[in-house]
Amino acid sequence: MSSASNTGKGRGQVAALARTARGWLVASVGCGAVSAACLVGQFVVLAHVVDDTVFRGQSLWAERGLLVLFGACLLGCIGARFASDMAGTEAGLQVVASVRNALLRHLAKAGPVACVRLPAGQVLSVVDEGVEALEPFFARYVPSAAMMVMLPLLILAVVCGVDGWSFVILACTGPLVPMCMVFVGYSAQKAMDRQWGYLSTLAGSFLDALRGLKTLRVFGRTAGSLERIGVLGDAHRRATLSVMKIAFLTSASLEFFASLSIALVAVVFGSRLLAGTAEFRSAFLVLLLAPEYFAPLRNFSASYHARQNAMAALEQIAKLQALPELAIALDAEEVTAGDHAGTVVESLRCEHVGAEYEASATVLHDVNCTFRRGQFSVLSGESGAGKSTLLSVILGLLPPSAGRFCVLDAHDLPALRSDVCMAYVPQRPQLVYGTVADNLRMGLPHASLEAMREAAHMADALEFIESLPEGFSTVVGERGSRLSKGQVRRLALARALLRKPDVLVLDEPTADLDPASARRIASAIRQCVAGRIVIAATHKAELVACADQVLDIADGQVMVRAVPGDSLAQPAGEKEVCPA
Amino acid sequence: MKTMSTVSHSGTGVRALFMPNGMGLHVFRPVRWHMLLGVVLACVGALANFGLLTLSGWLLAGAATAGLAGTVAAQSFNILLPATAVRFFATVRILARYLERVSTHDTALRLTGRLRSWLYARLAPLAPAGLVSVRGGDVLSRFVSDTDRAAAWYTDVGVPCWRALLCGLFFVGVFLCLLPLAAGVLALGLGLASIGVWALVARPVYGLMQRSVESHTALQTELADTLQGLGEWLVLGTMARQLATLGASQAALTRAHRRIATREGLAGSFVTLLMFCTALAILGVALQAFHAGQLTGPEVPMLVLGNLAAFDVLVAVPGACVASARTQLSAARLVACGADEGAKAASAPVVPVAPYDLEIHDLCFSYPNTGAYVLDHANLMVRQGEKLGIIGPSGAGKSSLISLLFNFWPVQGGSIVFGGVNVSATDAETLSSLISVASQDFHLFTATLRDNLLLAAPQASEADMNEALRIVQLTSFVVALPEGLDTLVGNEGLRLSGGQARRLSIAQALLRRTPWLVLDEPTEGLDDATEQALMKALLAACPRTTILCISHRKSVLPFMDRVVRLEGGRLWPEGEKT
Repeated sequence: MSSASNTGKGRGQVAALARTARGWLVASVGCGAVSAACLVGQFVVLAHVVDDTVFRGQSLWAERGLLVLFGACLLGCIGARFASDMAGTEAGLQVVASVRNALLRHLAKAGPVACVRLPAGQVLSVVDEGVEALEPFFARYVPSAAMMVMLPLLILAVVCGVDGWSFVILACTGPLVPMCMVFVGYSAQKAMDRQWGYLSTLAGSFLDALRGLKTLRVFGRTAGSLERIGVLGDAHRRATLSVMKIAFLTSASLEFFASLSIALVAVVFGSRLLAGTAEFRSAFLVLLLAPEYFAPLRNFSASYHARQNAMAALEQIAKLQALPELAIALDAEEVTAGDHAGTVVESLRCEHVGAEYEASATVLHDVNCTFRRGQFSVLSGESGAGKSTLLSVILGLLPPSAGRFCVLDAHDLPALRSDVCMAYVPQRPQLVYGTVADNLRMGLPHASLEAMREAAHMADALEFIESLPEGFSTVVGERGSRLSKGQVRRLALARALLRKPDVLVLDEPTADLDPASARRIASAIRQCVAGRIVIAATHKAELVACADQVLDIADGQVMVRAVPGDSLAQPAGEKEVCPA
Repeated sequence: MKTMSTVSHSGTGVRALFMPNGMGLHVFRPVRWHMLLGVVLACVGALANFGLLTLSGWLLAGAATAGLAGTVAAQSFNILLPATAVRFFATVRILARYLERVSTHDTALRLTGRLRSWLYARLAPLAPAGLVSVRGGDVLSRFVSDTDRAAAWYTDVGVPCWRALLCGLFFVGVFLCLLPLAAGVLALGLGLASIGVWALVARPVYGLMQRSVESHTALQTELADTLQGLGEWLVLGTMARQLATLGASQAALTRAHRRIATREGLAGSFVTLLMFCTALAILGVALQAFHAGQLTGPEVPMLVLGNLAAFDVLVAVPGACVASARTQLSAARLVACGADEGAKAASAPVVPVAPYDLEIHDLCFSYPNTGAYVLDHANLMVRQGEKLGIIGPSGAGKSSLISLLFNFWPVQGGSIVFGGVNVSATDAETLSSLISVASQDFHLFTATLRDNLLLAAPQASEADMNEALRIVQLTSFVVALPEGLDTLVGNEGLRLSGGQARRLSIAQALLRRTPWLVLDEPTEGLDDATEQALMKALLAACPRTTILCISHRKSVLPFMDRVVRLEGGRLWPEGEKT
């Protein structure tokens, strides 16, 4: 729900989004106007026909001209209404599709480091349900808001020409409706805000109980928790209803004015007809038009919650859009193995690199280090010391807040980051639903089986892949749940190696593994060092032991520890060669 | 109304408009009076609307006739009574519609609650085996939205459809009293409109909705895969490909939505078309009757207005048909998730007896739909009072062992005997009174720390809780919290670190004071000093408890009497403690 300070921003966003589907929205409103005009025309004709036939003794046949007109108006009205609805729907669908695409592109450019700033699951739910909430807003709310202005004005104009008294009644009651709706809506909002936390906790209680079902079973407390669900559910119902009772007063106020004005028109007209100071034709017409005068208001108020949902969603969407973008070219041609012949990357260098997630808390200060080809570097330190942060800087997922990170070729000349073929194995590699081969080909789209076997062999994954029931064609389940953690990691390593990367980056490759699996991974990594830059973050001794260079990270400082027998330690006073 | 009633029996699609499908009526039974009340109020609202419009029409026409007939007639025309009636109907309409909305939403929320309790009772015996998430991510939040939608059947489908049926019949009845021929025309009009709605929406919409749900599920899965692997895909350069796949799924979803909206729009247009065609037909019929002297003049416009008001109840039906398909799909999913409910043994669980020794004999186990055996002829004997450590490579099945001990998964061979009873002859609830588990995947509820502890052990006193917190080395953490044990934790509250949460789960297990205690990786995420202190305090506090400690950290093993290694699906002795 948007608070007062955010409504301005929300309005700007809405305007920007409306522009993406402007054609359809205009069509929807235009067709709505045509349908409104036809509707009024249709009622005018109907009132004429009824008056003529009942009070002026005409036969229906004599009215055939009017009846044809009535039919034309009817078809026009229905057709235009249908077209208006469809155009509105199309506008909604287009906005959803375009917002979702834009948001995904933005998230891809912002990268995972920015995304983890938001609570887990929130990004997904905003992109999925949040964006979905925009559809009814553009499909129904916006056209019905336009209708709410057009149709009542049109009816007022017609009634004004027909009868002064009725005009006064409708003109007085009409504007009271939105006023009442705003007033009641405001009270409902206040009631809602008052118990927001309580409501959201109660609303989440069932999901919470489901998530904890196994825990409850193990504790033998399923029967007790069933009772708890009932109690919490009932509390939720009562809390929600107390808000609804107020919120529904908006529609009740609408009903009140609608019913009141129909009754007034009938009674006032009745006495004037009796006195002979009014015509039945106008009375009947006003009676036909009065419900239609309020109908758009009713549609509008019915779609009002679409606006609330959309505004809440827009607020969330704005949070995602506020994430800073990285300099990543998404549409760059996908690299194929060995196709990056242009530059050969010799080393990666951090010069006075600082890194921070939010302007307040600096994670890394003044990091100076060099990673060279054929060298296995290990970032070591306590968890939370900044190992993953430095990896993110190296991967280009987090721009350094100070200093610079540069890619150098054989002549120590700067190269472009996009020329470097990088590969990354995160701590929890992501497997997609599909076969082992599908997952490997995420690294390289059209890799041959031979290439995959080679990569798998290098990653020490070939053995277990071939022991699977269908080898490379085995479907790995949701999130790879049917493989062990060590196996998933070796598969991800194989996927990374399939690209024959210049730079291989691994985050905690041996965490959560027993020593035997950890040793296998470590020796597999060691195997791939030849001809490439390999960097791993870890706090385990096994990997540190086989490193060529160890960077100890503590308190945001990085200490390069020379490993005995390593001659590649960074010489002091190297000239600066990075582009500004 | 013959047409309408035949329509209502001509297919399951129509039946779903009037009866809640699938879930079993016993879920709805306790709220049936609430449900009835909502329908009655909805009908009262519709009837008041009908009364208001027809009476107003009659009043105007009557007054006009009297006015035209001269002063005498005008004076003898009693405008007071109809005017009062008009105001009465207006008031009833306002009240009925407000009460209807409050009442139907209250009932829908009650239904949601009933459905959730029903679902929970069905799911509980299946957990965790029956809750393995299917493709498409979070199966649990889908249960939440499905119960919401299934309960929305009442407000979105049941009420409008019953209102249309009952009020439609009533309106025809009213017309029948005035002019039988007009009643016939109205019945025909309403019937044709219903058939049209059935053909345009009710029949095809289920399939369309199914397709829409499928595309949505596909999109959700891809979204989850893409977002979770964002870093990897970016570095691997496959992001553009992922985005293209997502775009294609999005397009499929858009198409499905568009088709449904078109159908609904067409049906709405058809109802409007018939509304006015019937109005003209009724005008013709009424005029004929008027000229024949069967009707008075004022009754002619009254019938025309009555027809318009009568069709008003059909306007909501196309939308109800779409909602019906949505709720049907949700209900079907809910019913399917507990389908093998009856498969669980109906016989009373056998209760294990002391001494609580554990005997695992030739146990073979693999998770459903996987080829590989996690346990392959595994054997283990644990005497009551022993402290046993289990180590083994990751993925070797150490945690699966706990699930099997609770009979959560069916085994393919061999047996687990606990306290002289095969665990397959008993149930998790019985076993849980003897065995406490601090598992890796335990759930922290959105509640206070105290409630979380009490959830595990309802009888625990304040002193018990403090003692348990002392053992797991959480006292200083809790004392430092401004609200102490009353601090809200979980999703909506304070987030605990992995180590803190793990220790809280050990405290929960300790509070239950069972003869057996199973600790799954108890010290993961703890520093060495805390780990040693915790293990020391734990063993001092439970000298007689049988402890099974699963870990890959060697540092906890010296606290054990005996250590076995789980590898290659079997358990091997790792050497006795001297």
